[in-house]
Amino acid sequence: MGRVLLVARVALRDLRRRPTEAVLLLLVITATTTTLTLGLALSRVTNDPWDRTRAATAGPDVVAAMFAPGPTAPGELVALRRAPGVRAATGPYPVVFADLRVRDIDVSASAEARDTAPAAIDQPAVTDGRWIFPGGAVVERGFADALGVRVGDPITVAGRALRVAGIAVTTAQPAYPLNTPGQVWLARVDAQWLSTRPVAWVLPLRLADPSAAPVFAGAHSTPAIRLRPWQDIRDRSVALVAIEQTALLVGSWLLGLLAVASMAVLVGGRMAEQIRRVGLLKAVGATPRWIAVILLAEHVLLALAATVVGLAIGWWAAPLLTNLGSGLLGTPGTPALTGLTVVEVAGTAVLVAGAATLVPALRGAGTSTLRALTDPAHPPRRWAWLIAVSAHLPVPLLLGLRLAIRRPRRTILSLASLVITIAVIVAALAMEHYAAVLSARPAESGHLPGLGNPLVDRVDQVVLVLTVVLSILAAINAIFITWTTALDAQRACALARALGATPRQVSAGLSAAQLIPTLVAALLGIPAGLGLYRLAAGGDAGLTPPLWTLLAVVPAALIGMAVLTAIPARLGARRPIGDILRSE
Amino acid sequence: MQDVVLAMLAKEPSHGYELRSRLRDALGPVGEAMNAGQIYVTLGRLEKSGMVISERDPGLPDRPDRKVYLLTPAGQQRVTSWLAEVTWPGPAPAEFHLKLVAAALGGLADPLTIVDAQRRELLRLLRDAQRAAMAEPDGSAAGLLLEGVVLRLQADLRWLEACERHWLDRSDGA
Amino acid sequence: MEQAVGRAVLRTRALCKRFGRGDALVRAVDDVDLHVAPTETVAITGPSGCGKSTLLHLLGGLDRPTSGEVLLAGSRVDQMGERALARLRRSMVGFVFQAFHLIEELTVVENVELPALLAGRSPRAARRRAAELLDQVGVADRAAFVPAALSGGQRQRVAIARALSNDPLVVLADEPTGNLDSAATLEVLRLFDTLRRAGQTLVIVTHDARIAATADRLISMRDGAFVDDTRLTGATTSALSVLAGLEG
Repeated sequence: MGRVLLVARVALRDLRRRPTEAVLLLLVITATTTTLTLGLALSRVTNDPWDRTRAATAGPDVVAAMFAPGPTAPGELVALRRAPGVRAATGPYPVVFADLRVRDIDVSASAEARDTAPAAIDQPAVTDGRWIFPGGAVVERGFADALGVRVGDPITVAGRALRVAGIAVTTAQPAYPLNTPGQVWLARVDAQWLSTRPVAWVLPLRLADPSAAPVFAGAHSTPAIRLRPWQDIRDRSVALVAIEQTALLVGSWLLGLLAVASMAVLVGGRMAEQIRRVGLLKAVGATPRWIAVILLAEHVLLALAATVVGLAIGWWAAPLLTNLGSGLLGTPGTPALTGLTVVEVAGTAVLVAGAATLVPALRGAGTSTLRALTDPAHPPRRWAWLIAVSAHLPVPLLLGLRLAIRRPRRTILSLASLVITIAVIVAALAMEHYAAVLSARPAESGHLPGLGNPLVDRVDQVVLVLTVVLSILAAINAIFITWTTALDAQRACALARALGATPRQVSAGLSAAQLIPTLVAALLGIPAGLGLYRLAAGGDAGLTPPLWTLLAVVPAALIGMAVLTAIPARLGARRPIGDILRSE
Repeated sequence: MQDVVLAMLAKEPSHGYELRSRLRDALGPVGEAMNAGQIYVTLGRLEKSGMVISERDPGLPDRPDRKVYLLTPAGQQRVTSWLAEVTWPGPAPAEFHLKLVAAALGGLADPLTIVDAQRRELLRLLRDAQRAAMAEPDGSAAGLLLEGVVLRLQADLRWLEACERHWLDRSDGA
Repeated sequence: MEQAVGRAVLRTRALCKRFGRGDALVRAVDDVDLHVAPTETVAITGPSGCGKSTLLHLLGGLDRPTSGEVLLAGSRVDQMGERALARLRRSMVGFVFQAFHLIEELTVVENVELPALLAGRSPRAARRRAAELLDQVGVADRAAFVPAALSGGQRQRVAIARALSNDPLVVLADEPTGNLDSAATLEVLRLFDTLRRAGQTLVIVTHDARIAATADRLISMRDGAFVDDTRLTGATTSALSVLAGLEG
């Protein structure tokens, strides 16, 4: 036990001695833990709003629909009212696609004719204004929000001028825009089109056993009659949260990978330096194995701290993302923090820290003390053919390529984190493009042009936040790697300047050492990003952005990297040569 | 020199001129200043002390450079014990050191000037020795000898630097 | 190479380099006037800490003086920007360091061709020149090895070959034999001698008397200032045989 305490004390002291690095590492892991917490929080969200809305509207267990011409309800549909298992039914109600006009917006809507008296089943709950009356229509709340209408506004449905009597919510179908076209309810008197157009008849049913709704729906579906159980409708309604959750969980994995890459670079550099100090610490009884253990302990401590911070921020921010939109009543409460969640987040954080520290720690533990003293840092790698190739390049690229291949592990880690970042950016671009295309679609599909899709908007937001966080981490990574490379190659750069390279060429070389992996990462990241988008969007993945947009990512990434590395590269090439090369 | 000649005769008897040429090979430029007759003087001394005997080569007139020399048992023993000896002809700084002290005490001259002059001379010697060393092919015996000369001169120069520092401090303090 | 007789290759006027201030002020180089003629070999000796290396760095533009002038082939080095200095180092100055400073992951020939590549020569021309130089310094058989596989003397010879890569006006060597044993020192000495005879201007900072003895001019330095500037002329009074221990 005493040993554990000793290790913990030394680890803490080590961390305090390098505050900047500790903070950077903490930030990196916290990004992962926060995203993971948010994802997990969303998965535990209760279905409160849905349940509340269903209770308030006496929601149906099954909704049956059928097309039929003419003003009277089809017999088969009516016959369903007396099917076994059905406890009660209202309607059937006629529904038709009608042109809706509000101010200067022209769009298709789904118009349902209802009685002015409240129904026993599926009576939409009015949140604003009042229920229908002759001349007054009620608009579904999600639809009303998208249209921007309020109670009392004029509205034209199928050519008939009406006013908005009220705004209501329902659970007979998902709210706009999860279900298109948007829904309005009218008094029968206002529904003039009954005899002139094909009509869909809708029959809400209450079952004796609500949980058996899917079975009932399966049993009674025919090619003509379509039945929808309430579980389906609910799932679709809360789909928004489900999609966000997926995005967040995937995002947290990606952030985790990025975190591992960033940490590995940071830790790798420190490990080499620590081993160099082994000779001095040997007097205190420390061996390379001890150094490795202490390093591991430091990062586990950081991981635990990141867990606490991540859980706090994630749980506080969760309600912002769990709002199910205006289609349902109320907001879900914040779920309680379960022990399982804490363990999952802590476990992930420790895994990230451990993975990054493991390889250098093992390498350090395996080094005998003697080797540590006589061969402090492993020498740079040599790649004969790449060196030969670099001789044909202009000076900055020559230097850059040679610098990059000196430490292949660091370059590959940098490459990996860049590929991840660019892939996410490309996926986000693809999503943006898809959303833009959707909102430009003609009005017949029910989407309101120019008003966007709250579903896509919300996922967009989450993806945007993820992209920004990833980009910030990748930027920190890039700056840090350039700085480390500059320090590591200090002597070689000073030598190059002594042999005739100008400081600008050397700075350009230090930048080029990062730009070369960036180019490769961009070329790999674009297809990876498209794959990611297809994976995330599933069946909805429609169009890919035009080729030129995708290709534009390459120069954008290069310019971004050049800007990020400019300052550390300059600083690395400015020290007086004499200082660095001074003979002892 | 006597022991060296004895050792050279240890393997087999030789003529005087053979000995001379072997010495010259081993010494290189260092041996250039050596008197041609030196070796016969040494051989004569050795004969007198009974370490070496000479024989006349039959068929040749009785001249010193035509004689064949061989070791006596006493000479053999001397060679063995000489080879096993480890006394080293060490450096001899005492004279120079005392020169400086005397000059300082008697106000005869500035020790620093003496050190400087000596340093210059040693550097000239070093220059000559080095030039000779570089003219030798790699791995020659003479080259090895010259390296020994050079390294000793280097050591002496380092001591002279120390002398300079010492006498500089003394004069600063005075 | 400059053949203008009487015009100094390298010249300094009242050169000073100071570090620190007040009580901690160190005059590393104190009011030094130096002139080096073409094809001259100049050795600068002195105890450690006397400022020899600092002076060399100033001569080669690796460091900026606090005051004074440094002129290389007539141009003011102390006033040049970093870019011009780099170009200068490319074509006029070759450096040899005590610690060799060879790039460890490059082979010997890749090390030697580097200055030519940095100067913009074609890879083929640079490689050819490097092979030539390695032949001159006698390390051609080790051309494909990395520096770690070479002895100290061989490494310094490679460093000298590198310094000659762009046919410099002057070669500046900072304690070239400081890290070498006696045999390796002889190798390097031979090489410097060859260069001297070929007409290369050399300025060598050293505290090794062996190197100093081969120079045309010997400058002694103490506390940042020159205290002696002499040529080793004249014959010696003792014969080598006396030195060797042979009685007359």
